[in-house]
Amino acid sequence: MTPAQVLPPRRLQWLAQAVLTLGCLGVDPGWLLGIFTLVLVLMAALKLLEARDRAGRRLVALLQLVGCGLLAAQQPDLLPSLLQLLAAVLSLAGLLQLESGLSVGWRLLLRRSLRVMAAALPLALVLFLLVPRIGPFGAGAGWPSGGAATGLSETLDPGSIATLVDNAAPAARVAFSSNRPPPPAQRYWRVLVHSRFDGSRWLRDGDAERAPSGPPPGLIPPPTAAADSDQVWLVEPSRFTAVPWSGTASPLDPSLRPQPTGELRLLRPALERRSYRLLEQPGPPGWQMRPPRIVDLVLPLDRNPRLLALGRSWGSLPDPLARVQAAERWFRSQGFRYSRTPGNLPEPNGLDAFLFERREGFCGHYASAFSALMRAAGIPSRVVSGYRGGAWVVPMSGASYLELRQSDAHAWSEIWLPGRGWLGVDPSAWLAGGAPASAAAGEAAVGPVLGPLRWLQRQWWGLDMAWSRWWLGFDQTRQEALLTWLLGGRRGLLGWLILAGVALTLGLTLPLLRSRTAAVDRPGRDLAVLLRLLRGMGIEPAAGETLEQLSERAARRHPALQEPLAELVRCHAERRFGAGMDPAAARRARQRWQYSLQLLIRRRREALRLTPDPDRDHP
Amino acid sequence: MRSAEGQRRRPWPERFGRVQQGERLQLGLRNLYIVPTGFGGLWLAGAALLLVVGIQTQRNGPLLLSYLMLALLLLALHLSHDNLQGLELSCGTPRAGFADEPLLYPVRLRSRCRREAVVLGLSRGDTLPPQRLDAGQTQLALPWRCGQRGRHGPGTLLIRSSAPLGLFVCWSRWQPPLAQTVYPARRRGPVGLVSSATARQALDPQTHGSSEGSEHWHDLRPHRPQDSQTRLAWKALAQGRGRLTKVFADSASATPRLSPAGGVPHERALEHLCEAVWQHSRRGACFGLELPGQRIPPGQGREHRDRCLQALALCR
Repeated sequence: MTPAQVLPPRRLQWLAQAVLTLGCLGVDPGWLLGIFTLVLVLMAALKLLEARDRAGRRLVALLQLVGCGLLAAQQPDLLPSLLQLLAAVLSLAGLLQLESGLSVGWRLLLRRSLRVMAAALPLALVLFLLVPRIGPFGAGAGWPSGGAATGLSETLDPGSIATLVDNAAPAARVAFSSNRPPPPAQRYWRVLVHSRFDGSRWLRDGDAERAPSGPPPGLIPPPTAAADSDQVWLVEPSRFTAVPWSGTASPLDPSLRPQPTGELRLLRPALERRSYRLLEQPGPPGWQMRPPRIVDLVLPLDRNPRLLALGRSWGSLPDPLARVQAAERWFRSQGFRYSRTPGNLPEPNGLDAFLFERREGFCGHYASAFSALMRAAGIPSRVVSGYRGGAWVVPMSGASYLELRQSDAHAWSEIWLPGRGWLGVDPSAWLAGGAPASAAAGEAAVGPVLGPLRWLQRQWWGLDMAWSRWWLGFDQTRQEALLTWLLGGRRGLLGWLILAGVALTLGLTLPLLRSRTAAVDRPGRDLAVLLRLLRGMGIEPAAGETLEQLSERAARRHPALQEPLAELVRCHAERRFGAGMDPAAARRARQRWQYSLQLLIRRRREALRLTPDPDRDHP
Repeated sequence: MRSAEGQRRRPWPERFGRVQQGERLQLGLRNLYIVPTGFGGLWLAGAALLLVVGIQTQRNGPLLLSYLMLALLLLALHLSHDNLQGLELSCGTPRAGFADEPLLYPVRLRSRCRREAVVLGLSRGDTLPPQRLDAGQTQLALPWRCGQRGRHGPGTLLIRSSAPLGLFVCWSRWQPPLAQTVYPARRRGPVGLVSSATARQALDPQTHGSSEGSEHWHDLRPHRPQDSQTRLAWKALAQGRGRLTKVFADSASATPRLSPAGGVPHERALEHLCEAVWQHSRRGACFGLELPGQRIPPGQGREHRDRCLQALALCR
């Protein structure tokens, strides 16, 4: 019969489990990895509930650690990362507790767990920094299905929107390595491209959310001289895998895929907060020079007759650019106004009603009408929706960033000109009453009235941004740069470098851990000090003599020392043989010992001063 | 039978490794073995999973955690080994015990530092629960069992530890050199009785016990410290007559000499004698022992008892 296993209480492991569960709140169950994480965390909880032996409890700790890692794969932001770190430390403490028995206190366990983790960290960092990264083995597995959250709309149908509600919810944040925002005129962040037009609505390509295409993964551009002009984006959950970008940057993350239409798709669950890094590139991006398709010219001929007629009248101009300029002149001359409450447009000729009767609407109306007019004039065109402007926030700590809210959502047009490719045109800018309020918010760094909550949020986001820039920043590209800096062209030495790093960190951390684990025999050390003192006074311990007898002998020779010596003997007995003393009592005993020792030294000095030294008189 | 069971229960790595011989054993590189536990294997698999997830998602978090787990594995290898390295084992003087009853084998451990969760066990017995060994000397008594009388070694001593993380198990095996005396099992049954007064006769221990009860004393003398408490005249003490010791009628003249009963197998007869010696001694009776080729004159007390039991353990 095995002796019944006495296991420490489960509190610590339950605490780790609770923190882990808290971290699971933001996980998207629509993604394979998300489901896997949730199942793993649930398994850990069930195992913890039923585990009766040490092996079971160890397994719980391992499951918790792996759960932390899986969460870290999905939520790299600051707050989730802190939660994951806490959960990892707690589960490690739970594991240590299993091995070290019952009598170890909470604080000591946590300290020990942190110490072990700190000892392992340099080693892990050596591996993290030096082991070459490889690209994913193949992507697209567990492709997330579209969810539902506020944001841009897949279908742009301005005619059906009577009132535009100002939604101040956060949409995205972007930080620039130059720490300067782009000029306001360039702050167009494209997200969705609507190419199909049915007379009133602009739609995205039908299979846009399902089958991601694009260049194969792993094509990371080599680090260039301008490698530090990068952007880090943090995007709130949305309905789309398409994420905002400037259109000219090149992605640094293999799960980012620029689409032929100019959308940028991120192969991550859209329901999570997403972050990614882009590298600003000077040349024109690939999608811009891609020739238009038939769908970019399709226009239903049975709707909006007046729009068709107007467009066709410009179509006779030989130069496509002249047609655009004609349209601009026409828009500027007609007295269009910006309105958030334009009311519904009548069917089926809604755009006719907007262009020739009401002449008021928001960005969607203008982009939609202008693109339709261009198609009628024979210029391939489409509508792009995304964000415009954004507020430049400089928090007290952390990184400065451009804050985009849902109210910064904007729509504009894109036209194809031969030889110049796709060009963005914002017809809302031609309005008589100036730029609309929401689109012009880019200039104002901080609004006049900022609630304390909003202020706090901005400070936190600043920290979050700094963390993301730092944490996302170390990717394959940066590692390549580091290795090139370390090794130059001699890549063959990398293996040796890693081995040397591991050996060095092990050699440095192990003695540290060892010296801490070696228990110090304090009473023994203190006793040696006392004996040395007594020896200095010419009192040698005799064979078989106890400390008590020795001190009595010393007290007989130096009566002044009797009191401290007696106290020292008492203290020593207490410290040496009082096994299982509680720490407070042990500390008190040690203090008493030190006090008595000081007293002894003082008395000894006085005694020596009183006794005339025979040598001193005759030098 | 039990020891075989104990052997079967041990995981395979701990049955592997040279058994060290010698008076004392200092654990070190030459006699410690270390392999990953099953949990260590799982841990490695978990780290590999996180590495794959980190590569697939191109995230730093799982990559760093995966490397951290690998680093902990590497550290645990050294820490587990350190937990046993330098520990010095030696055996104390084992006290004799009875066959088929738990025996305790004393082991002394000397360490310069504190060691966590050290498990010790004998191959012919159970393992102790994990012990924390403080710096200095620690004395432990390891339980084991033996079915046969005589002088027996306790089998192989296994010392192992998987602290601090349970990722590696480190162990060593040692054959403690000192044998332990095992008396025959105590079993009730007839014993031969050779008395100076009466002829050799067989006596049943039950009837024997009642006829030699504490009532049949014939005199009282002053109590001496070395006298057994069982012979103290409690009634006299209660009556305020002081501490007196009963003097039994047969303690001087009719001292029984215990000997193996006839018609009983030799080993079984020895077991009966063992029980009889134990009972006599408990009652404080005076008895002698007569074994083939050996004769122990009548006597009393613990030393006499142990001499008789020793003779029983070692007689041929």
